[in-house]
Amino acid sequence: METSVFYHPSMAFLAFALVVPFIPTQLWLNKAFRGALALVAPLVALYSIFTVEPGTYGAIQYLDQSLIFGRVDGLSIVFGQVFAIIATIGAIYGMHVEDRGHFVCGSLYVAGGFGCVFAGDLLTVFLFWELMSIGSTFLIWQARTKESVGAGFRYFLYHTVGGLFLLGGLLLKYKATGSFAFEGVNPADAQLYDWLILTGFCVNAAVVPLHAWLPDAYPRASVAGAVYMCAFTTKTAVYVLARGFAGWEVLAIAGTIMAVFGVLYACIENNSRRILSYHIVSQVGYMVAGIGIGTAMTLNGAVAHAYAHILYKGLLFMGTGCILYAVGTAKLDKLGGLATKLPWVMVWYMVAALSISGMPLFNGFISKTMTIAGAAEHHRTILALCLEIAAVGTFISVGIKLPYFAFWGGKKEYKGEIKPIPVNMYVGMAICGLLCIAQGVYPHLLYQYLPFPVEGHQFEPWTIDKVLNSGLLLGFSGLAFYLTREIITPHAKLNLDFDWFYRLIGKVTMGAICWPVSKVDDVWTEVYRTVGLRSLIGMGDGTSWFDKKGIDTVVDGSAYTVRNIGRLGAKAQTANLQDYLAWAAVLGLGIFALVWYFG
Amino acid sequence: MSQNGLGDLLAKWRDNWKTWRIIFFVVLGVLVLLNIPFVTHHPHFGLDKYPGFFAAFGLIVGLVMVILMKKIIQPFIAREEDYYGD
Repeated sequence: METSVFYHPSMAFLAFALVVPFIPTQLWLNKAFRGALALVAPLVALYSIFTVEPGTYGAIQYLDQSLIFGRVDGLSIVFGQVFAIIATIGAIYGMHVEDRGHFVCGSLYVAGGFGCVFAGDLLTVFLFWELMSIGSTFLIWQARTKESVGAGFRYFLYHTVGGLFLLGGLLLKYKATGSFAFEGVNPADAQLYDWLILTGFCVNAAVVPLHAWLPDAYPRASVAGAVYMCAFTTKTAVYVLARGFAGWEVLAIAGTIMAVFGVLYACIENNSRRILSYHIVSQVGYMVAGIGIGTAMTLNGAVAHAYAHILYKGLLFMGTGCILYAVGTAKLDKLGGLATKLPWVMVWYMVAALSISGMPLFNGFISKTMTIAGAAEHHRTILALCLEIAAVGTFISVGIKLPYFAFWGGKKEYKGEIKPIPVNMYVGMAICGLLCIAQGVYPHLLYQYLPFPVEGHQFEPWTIDKVLNSGLLLGFSGLAFYLTREIITPHAKLNLDFDWFYRLIGKVTMGAICWPVSKVDDVWTEVYRTVGLRSLIGMGDGTSWFDKKGIDTVVDGSAYTVRNIGRLGAKAQTANLQDYLAWAAVLGLGIFALVWYFG
Repeated sequence: MSQNGLGDLLAKWRDNWKTWRIIFFVVLGVLVLLNIPFVTHHPHFGLDKYPGFFAAFGLIVGLVMVILMKKIIQPFIAREEDYYGD
């Protein structure tokens, strides 16, 4: 099937987000209709990506710049493909949700992700980068809990700062080179602007120590929203890093630190969704390290791992989401013995848990080993060893600790009520789980899409020694868990992370601004009371006389008008920053649509 | 009602945890034995040319990681859950 046009997936998702608010409530509450409608955009995306020919599509002129919305090549296709798959699965998993907000925010977020992947220049990347940041912030608020409000604000603030690094970098780059071109940068020629852009990307990739937004926000997102969250933000960042910063040594080191750091924190964490969040940091670390090492094999490993990771991490969040949905908490100290009550949740969770651990027959095995072997073959022995250490920790936390304390024993069982789980959530998990297994058994299903040509021998995961080594590594990690199971029992504690420093920066900044302002205010209040007030009273007497005699008759009519306008304005001013942000996003998208249409 | 069927099966398995533990140890033993003829083809780390390297690696790293994090690190960084007031 050849096609010379490219149906940009973002357009389908933006259109869906635009339509949702206007659907009559009766129709919307019909689950079949809602589900079918929510599937349209992901299916369009799937069709578009499986039929598109590589090339450059959708260049438009704006402010004397040529913006490219459709750079379709091997690298963008493979990311677009897995984005389309997880968007489809996420739509199925979230079909039962009635809140329109979930669909609107989710679609804007997904549209942003696709937009970044197919963007051919930095300005377009930035545009969709910000759309993603807004969409995901609202997705966090969709949880509609008190703690999600605070987490959403912190998340937004943080990503705004990251976005500003990116903006600063691309503007400086434009000033220096006269173009917004988004191509690979040779680390030897790195300029300040490249470092700024890299920093912006690293915020979204959750590179330690810029990562703390992730374990702060993701566990607080809504059940269905978290499935999108864990797929798009960090993996879009992995994509742009692979595109722009392959072979940067700093990323090789940073990625390896991420891989180990995330695992260490997950080891002591109690909230199951936060354990998974720390494991996003860790798993993205493998990808960042692969990109930093920069050989064809490690780059392919990074891409393959991103692909596999999106599937199994989505499934992990779906599984723990089911627990949260059914039980009302995801904290391990409150769970226990759920295997007999939610057996299929346990089964699909375990498929994902074995995948992330790199167990043979599951897709993590074919992607993780590629990155590690690539690092080792490139004689990065210490990095490869650290990645193996992270693999041990991954299996202990996600593969054993979490399911053991949630589904099995070790402590008292959960005895409370269990809310029935909608069928569509099971369907979503089953599709995702089967894909994880299929890729693990037939690596070629995934390998055929890897974009970087490898010279010499191709990587083959299914050899006896590799299978045995993985089995030994995981088996004896399991033994380590068995021996330390009393020690690792989770406690209801909050573990300090780098966000302690972020908050400190916030407090100091606020203090530095507030203190002088309050001093000036004190003085001003005093001056006003002694001087201003008296003269005002005098003026007031004069005007009141004038008012009674002359104005009343004229002004009353216009006063009514003003009052009515004021009421309308007051309605829009809800004093909720979330609402203002939503209006700003709507306005921005509206302007963007006009420019797109007329530009 | 396949869900209950599976749930019952899992309940039965859980009650037989001692058998599963034996199976687990046997599997570990078999893996180590198999590692003797089928040792790593292209060793990268030096010691991985010897059988049982990955077994020892997994065990030692796992033990050290859990004990280090839970016993030494966590007491320093653990706070009450409402520490930030949210």
